[in-house]
Amino acid sequence: MNIYIQGTGCVSPLETAAEGPFPVVVNPSYEGARLKVSDPDYKQWIDIKQIRRMSRIIKMGVAAAKLSLAEASVEMPDAIITGTAYGCLDDTGVFLTKMISQNEEMLTPTSFIQSTHNTVAGQIALMLNCHAYNNTFVHKGFSFESALLDSIMILKEGNSRHILMGAMDELTNHSFNIISRFNRFKKEPVTHTELLQSTTHGTVAGEGAACFVLGTEKSDSAMARLTGLTTSYKPGSTAEIAADIIAFLAVHEIAQEDIDLLITGRNGDVEGDTWYDHVERTLFPNQAVGCFKHLCGEYPTAASFGMWAGCKVLSSGQVPADVLFKGKAPEKIKKILIYNHYKETHHSLILLTGC
Amino acid sequence: MEKLMAALKAQIIEQLNLQEVKPEEIGDDQPLFKDGLGLDSIDALELIVLLQQNYNIRIANPEQGPEIFRSVRTIAEFITAHQNKN
Repeated sequence: MNIYIQGTGCVSPLETAAEGPFPVVVNPSYEGARLKVSDPDYKQWIDIKQIRRMSRIIKMGVAAAKLSLAEASVEMPDAIITGTAYGCLDDTGVFLTKMISQNEEMLTPTSFIQSTHNTVAGQIALMLNCHAYNNTFVHKGFSFESALLDSIMILKEGNSRHILMGAMDELTNHSFNIISRFNRFKKEPVTHTELLQSTTHGTVAGEGAACFVLGTEKSDSAMARLTGLTTSYKPGSTAEIAADIIAFLAVHEIAQEDIDLLITGRNGDVEGDTWYDHVERTLFPNQAVGCFKHLCGEYPTAASFGMWAGCKVLSSGQVPADVLFKGKAPEKIKKILIYNHYKETHHSLILLTGC
Repeated sequence: MEKLMAALKAQIIEQLNLQEVKPEEIGDDQPLFKDGLGLDSIDALELIVLLQQNYNIRIANPEQGPEIFRSVRTIAEFITAHQNKN
């Protein structure tokens, strides 16, 4: 059974919420080592009476969901599945802060109601009046991949036509400051063109939401086929992940030479990028390599942005100059392998094929 | 009373995050729920907290809620009556 990506929607630090080709990167605004989402006018998707209660991640997720549904011309999905590592951090922070400052009294309901991880999937269901299967996966760096795996399994059961799935994570001032204490981010100023060549420790923080409509039919809007997905937790060495990739491709009867474009989660962190260096050098020395985290920043579900970028490449047949990291863009792009890891522990492989 | 109602309108807008609503756009006698300002049951809870936080008033009987929160004027009258009692 083939699984097609019939629609995509993305809210990110780039102008990805607008229709059209891959947005031209003028200058993503790196604020320190932090990339913030470029907020579109959410009122075009969300009623003003509802929008007032929504924190940024809910608006981002709902907007990405509506964009993907519109692109796929699907009004009512058969399931809504999301992945998020941090959930609704902002509302969680508001509620916990009030608990402390107000001595656990006079707590308002809105931030409490909307502080759970499944708020975005629930909100989408409420807006669509969708009573179908609704699930949210919270598995750190595998949150998106877990949601994707669940979507694939449900489609393979054969009872669902369209599944709305996606991933979202937001960065707040609190979370940025806390994660910064673990030396995860660059200390020195860096631009998006410099990040991938960086030889220092750390990366830039990011956030975003990307949603996809998956289905088993090759609809008019179908832009790619989701051919494969696998994950590897804490592989022992770069050689082990290279072996995993060879095995993954073999399962799908694909040779290394068949991959037209490798998209990696390279993020400018000198330690973490050694994984990508090894895979590029040993497995795909002659292939073009693309990257995406200089455009969206690093966050646990950033692979969703990578998959969105891969879909854009396949649908347009072109590798945007801002995505291309190494080599010459092939004239025809049929197969894309996305290799991403989060904090060197959560490694994932996604295989996309052109329709 | 007029001063209190003006203050209440600003507090309601802030507490409920009523974007694009200005205090002068809320009528003194305009219904706050359903067809009026369009507030709902979650907003009612927010208004109860608003009264506790800003005016130190606890609503002992929940059945009073619909009458108290009918409009800005009824809230202001409830606050004034409560303050006069104390």
